[in-house]
Amino acid sequence: MTGFLDSLFNGLALGSVYALIALGFVTVFKASGVLSFTHGSLLLLGGYLVAVLHDDLGFAGALALAVLVTAAAAGVLDRLVLQRVGGSDPHAAHVQTIVTIGVDIVLVTDLARRIGGDLLPLGDPWGSAVSDLGPVTVADSRVAAILVSAAAIGGAFALFRFTPWGLALRAAAEDREAAALMGVRLTRVRTAAWCLAGGLAALAAVFLVAFPAPGLERTTGQLALKAFPAAILGGMASPVGALVGSLLIGLTEAFVAGYQTDLHVLGEGFGDVAPYAVMVLVLLVRPAGLFAAKGAVRV
Amino acid sequence: MNVTHPRPRAARTPARTAALAAALAAVLLAGTACSSKADGGSTGDAADGVRTGPGVGEKTIRLGALTDLTGPYATLGKSIVQAQQMWADETNAAGGICGRRVEIVVKDHGYDVQKAVTAYADIAPDVVALPQVIGSPVVSALLDDIERDHMLTFPQAWAASLLGRDSVQVLGTTYDIDMIAAVDFLTRTKKLAKGDTIGHVYFEGDYGANALEGSEWAAEQAGMKIAGQKIKATDTDLTAQVAALSKAGAKAILISAGPAQTASLAGVAAARGLKVPIVTSAPGYAPQLLKTPAAAALEAMVHVVSAAPAVSSDLPGVKKMAASYQKAYPGEPVDSGVLSGYNAAQLIGTDLKKACQGGSLARQDVVKAHRSQKDADTGLGTPQDFTYVTAPASRSTYVLKPDAKALGGLAGVEDAHEPAGVDAYLAGRG
Repeated sequence: MTGFLDSLFNGLALGSVYALIALGFVTVFKASGVLSFTHGSLLLLGGYLVAVLHDDLGFAGALALAVLVTAAAAGVLDRLVLQRVGGSDPHAAHVQTIVTIGVDIVLVTDLARRIGGDLLPLGDPWGSAVSDLGPVTVADSRVAAILVSAAAIGGAFALFRFTPWGLALRAAAEDREAAALMGVRLTRVRTAAWCLAGGLAALAAVFLVAFPAPGLERTTGQLALKAFPAAILGGMASPVGALVGSLLIGLTEAFVAGYQTDLHVLGEGFGDVAPYAVMVLVLLVRPAGLFAAKGAVRV
Repeated sequence: MNVTHPRPRAARTPARTAALAAALAAVLLAGTACSSKADGGSTGDAADGVRTGPGVGEKTIRLGALTDLTGPYATLGKSIVQAQQMWADETNAAGGICGRRVEIVVKDHGYDVQKAVTAYADIAPDVVALPQVIGSPVVSALLDDIERDHMLTFPQAWAASLLGRDSVQVLGTTYDIDMIAAVDFLTRTKKLAKGDTIGHVYFEGDYGANALEGSEWAAEQAGMKIAGQKIKATDTDLTAQVAALSKAGAKAILISAGPAQTASLAGVAAARGLKVPIVTSAPGYAPQLLKTPAAAALEAMVHVVSAAPAVSSDLPGVKKMAASYQKAYPGEPVDSGVLSGYNAAQLIGTDLKKACQGGSLARQDVVKAHRSQKDADTGLGTPQDFTYVTAPASRSTYVLKPDAKALGGLAGVEDAHEPAGVDAYLAGRG
């Protein structure tokens, strides 16, 4: 039973961090139609900034600055590079997606060069402390991950629902042309979406590399890719779908690793494949994802 | 309507066929010319009567290093490159080898196999041996080329699958021997007994597979069971693995992965009150770990099994090397890479000297000189036996322990010794 609760809590914690990343994917996709492959490097950038700044600014200051800088970097990338690529070509979003792959390679290579073979601690206040929650022992950083993610995701949802920007974003996602005719400034809406995604990625970086993980590495950015299946199985344009998908992926990963020995039939190391297997299974049943946008009707 | 008709076959005249044949022959000839060059065919006698080959001139001996200065093993690569350069400088200051200056050509491949293959082709014609090649996948990709070129190579990788090639020398113990030593250490000192379960967290690929072979064999001999957890290099949070091993009732955990994974494993295990001994081998530890939140857990729970002693060891050779390195590269960490790099360079030096005495520095003769050494002792650890191509060069391992106060972050616990059962294991493997 302890094993089950362990895996459950672990999965929820992982899932809530993945949700921060997946929500970024989805927001960007909704606003610009671009699949952002730069997410991994933005995440690495955020983590790296916290790692190098926390000695001087303290953890909270470093985190705040990292979130702002990463958000700004994502916004600049969108405004100065992506929006100028493709023009009025109906396939502009596809071209921009490819551009994000290039930008990702440039950014990751530079950050990896700076990080080298090091393992950078982020100086978070939780350290390796743990608490007992009933029968299970959980890392404080994990509890913090769940609470902070919940707050950030709640905040993002409130933005979508209750602000003019959120309304504009939803309108743009529904019908770009009609939204523009109604006076929605598409460029601003999408740049703001990119900023939000960047900030969330920086926040996710902190919890991905905090204890029980040992610290920021050059490969940390690759963890962002784990949120891809989450976003896809949720239905690429649905924030709620991203949240549910992330939790599903986090739980799958934790349970498959926790019960690896009982799953011998599926082969060792099935945990790595499991998120993608779940994604394929879900898409077989619901081809448009769990929470498909209403517009996506199959004819 | 436009229809293209196939060209009548008669268009291929006898003259054209002859031209084609000639071109083909030329290409084939060029091909053989290339391979005979790479083969070490450009041998000759130098003015001093020593037979020379690729990489050996009248005044210089050129060695090559295929290293990782920009990839995941950049820290290791830098340490080895600097240590080997220090050896070259020392050797040249003492008059060189065979009356020649030693030079090391360093190529960075960033742990990219394709780049490494290109880099090898680039430097192969101009070097006599490779005292450093980082990365199991890189070495595996180059095995055939190395063997064809008779290029004496010391890989910085220790999988048993690299044994059995005349020109490739795995220094020290292989991963399986390390894990047999680890199980031996656990049964001797941590009261593990028949019926107990040992967890083994391991990387997919050669490294993990070979390590698991050793641990499973040793556990079976001792009547114990291995609970395996396979992970990838990107898995740096081992919470789920620890939960599973705790559920399996593991009394101890072996880990054959990178330093980041060892830190996570120890940190998580300590945090959830799973106070079991953890044993890893040299690639699973780096002194940088002592700056992570897991430092206390590492010092309390982890041991490192290694064919090389700690850099903080009292061995006179090691002390001297560590002192010179700190002088040559002030402020740089003196980690296990420094020791293994310097050791490899010294061994190549001994081989070259021996080959010189035999009157030839041609590649084949350098390999022959190397393979004739039964008791090679650089004073940096245990002596090694290079005469058996299919057996590890050493069977003895040290047991070390993370220690923030020690140089290189490791302190000695047990001196080098051969773990029980290694002979039987190697005999069984044939």
